Amino acid sequence: MKTESNVMYIARLAVTLLLITSVVALALAGVNAVTAPAIAKLTAEKTQAAIQAVLPGGGEEMSDLPAVDYEGADLVSKVYKGENGYAIEVTPGGFDNTITMMVGVDTEGKVLGISIIKHTETAGLGAVAAAGTPAGESFRGQFVGQSGSVAVTKDGGAMDAITGATITSRAICVGVNAALACAATLG
Amino acid sequence: MNFKKQFNEGLLTKNPVTVQLLGMCSTLAITTSLFNGIGMGLAVTIITICSNVLISALRKVIPSQIRIAAYITIIAGFVTMVDLFLQAYIPALAESLGVFIPLIVVNCMVLGRAEAFASKNGVLASAVDGLCQGIGYTVALVVVCVVRELLGSGTFGGGLLGPGGAGITIIPQPFPAMQMVMPVGGFLILGVVLAGNQWLMKYLEKKNKKKEAAK
Repeated sequence: MKTESNVMYIARLAVTLLLITSVVALALAGVNAVTAPAIAKLTAEKTQAAIQAVLPGGGEEMSDLPAVDYEGADLVSKVYKGENGYAIEVTPGGFDNTITMMVGVDTEGKVLGISIIKHTETAGLGAVAAAGTPAGESFRGQFVGQSGSVAVTKDGGAMDAITGATITSRAICVGVNAALACAATLG
Repeated sequence: MNFKKQFNEGLLTKNPVTVQLLGMCSTLAITTSLFNGIGMGLAVTIITICSNVLISALRKVIPSQIRIAAYITIIAGFVTMVDLFLQAYIPALAESLGVFIPLIVVNCMVLGRAEAFASKNGVLASAVDGLCQGIGYTVALVVVCVVRELLGSGTFGGGLLGPGGAGITIIPQPFPAMQMVMPVGGFLILGVVLAGNQWLMKYLEKKNKKKEAAK
């Protein structure tokens, strides 16, 4: 084989691959353009539903949070202020990835409720924490009315962990604690 | 093209999960409820059909030295599209399957069909192959799901039926064995299903031989 034909051949390989990747990228851009508004709308709706679920009456997002340091401050992403308290979005690290959840805290520093917006926990185990099933409801329900700090029974706390998902349950506790600490600084 | 043969191969004699042992990661990880099994099966089926068709159409254009890179790019493209569509239009399923939808890219069954079938056969035959293999994958997943869900959670139809999608309780708590939902249960049940498939194949073979002998 001549050198020149080798060069041509390699160029053909590169161009073919370039063409394929370009077409795939273009197609993906198209699909993204179609689905992005729907996904953004769903995420916004979910966030709103989560706020409503943990803070009756809903709330407005607080733009300037006081720059005070407390444990878990880096986990707090957004705070919504309502009539009777706050809905605080926290992102603790779960078993697989960060969990995005909303924690409602009343003005006396008691948990009003928790709602999980986004997670990638194991289906059937950690995912129970976010599920609309009786097991999920009862897990999330035990946080209501808690104050100060919470922990799972294995760590000496009062929260029953989800069977087979201690790490997820701990992550939820970390998130709730961060929200409680945040609410305490807001008064 | 022989649809009946391809269907039989996909479902039984060359079942991607129970005979070829491909896509084990997803098979073991998500088979905890009926909804997951059906959803994952459908997603993989659609992706396998699409990637098989496109790869078959391009089989004479793609030089063999870069075929794996080209196949993976095409497969990853379809997987990302399905992921985006699921997130936008079937969020419950996207949530339930989570990270395992993007991971279909590395599901060896999809690449396996591209390499073993679509790169050597026509477009229509490749589409049928994708469909048949996808059905085989779905059926295997659903069988593992139903057994695992029943033994592990004591329910049937999790994610689809019952209050809040918890499934219909068949074995009341505390009798179901939690271990069945955990990885160990996945391995145990998958092993039994593999054995079951082997038995069924042998049984059908014997039956066919007897039939021929009788002739």
